[in-house]
Amino acid sequence: MTGSGDPSGEVRTMSEPVELCIPVQSDLIVLARLTAATVASRAGFDVEEVDDLRLAVDELCVLVADGGTSGRLTLSFITDGDVVEVICALDGPAGVEEEGHPDEHGERELSVRILDALVDEHGDEFDDGQRRGWLRKRSVRHQPS
Amino acid sequence: MDEAFAVEERNHGDLVHVVVRGELDVATAPTLREHLHATVDGSSGPVVVDLLAVTFIDSTALGVLIGTKELADERGTDLRLVIEEARIIKIFEITGLTDLFSISATVAEASAR
Repeated sequence: MTGSGDPSGEVRTMSEPVELCIPVQSDLIVLARLTAATVASRAGFDVEEVDDLRLAVDELCVLVADGGTSGRLTLSFITDGDVVEVICALDGPAGVEEEGHPDEHGERELSVRILDALVDEHGDEFDDGQRRGWLRKRSVRHQPS
Repeated sequence: MDEAFAVEERNHGDLVHVVVRGELDVATAPTLREHLHATVDGSSGPVVVDLLAVTFIDSTALGVLIGTKELADERGTDLRLVIEEARIIKIFEITGLTDLFSISATVAEASAR
């Protein structure tokens, strides 16, 4: 772990990133949620904030995988003081052209609404043939561990 | 530890009480859809979907509930949800779905509507 000062004099602590790589399989998204909860808890988030990040990471994975069933999702969890940033990248085809793409009832819009409400910032991009999404959440009730 | 996903159906006269447990996500949504659509298709009275033992719900599961509501409306079936947990209610609120569904805090209240 490395520490750095900020203008307020508070010492901010940046942890080593935690990385998780999973096949795009619906029953493995739970691993992303478990990792999100662990990282948030270690970062001093309270119970509600841990729940929020757990759901937000689930939605991020769903958005990036986009109904696909092949390839791999790589998630990086970066803790910097009271902020957790998560980057999710898909190595493989997104599912937009696959049969049975699950956006029949506006699930993508629901995902975005959930992310808007639960995290401070989020976004996604398709760059260099790779779909990627990210989010950033700051704890307002941060308890340094 | 979170309860495993399960769906159980109980009949009380014309009313069907569907108890859902565990985490509702992209992995369990297809099974949930299958159960709920079959229940609505086969029901002649109100369907009460009891989410009291649900520990997690995401957009894919919300999509299943929206699809079930649409099916119920087409069939003229009254679909009612039971939710008490604040963190589950919160997801319905932030997605604006509290206006779409009839939501009660207890099974007795939902059954009496």
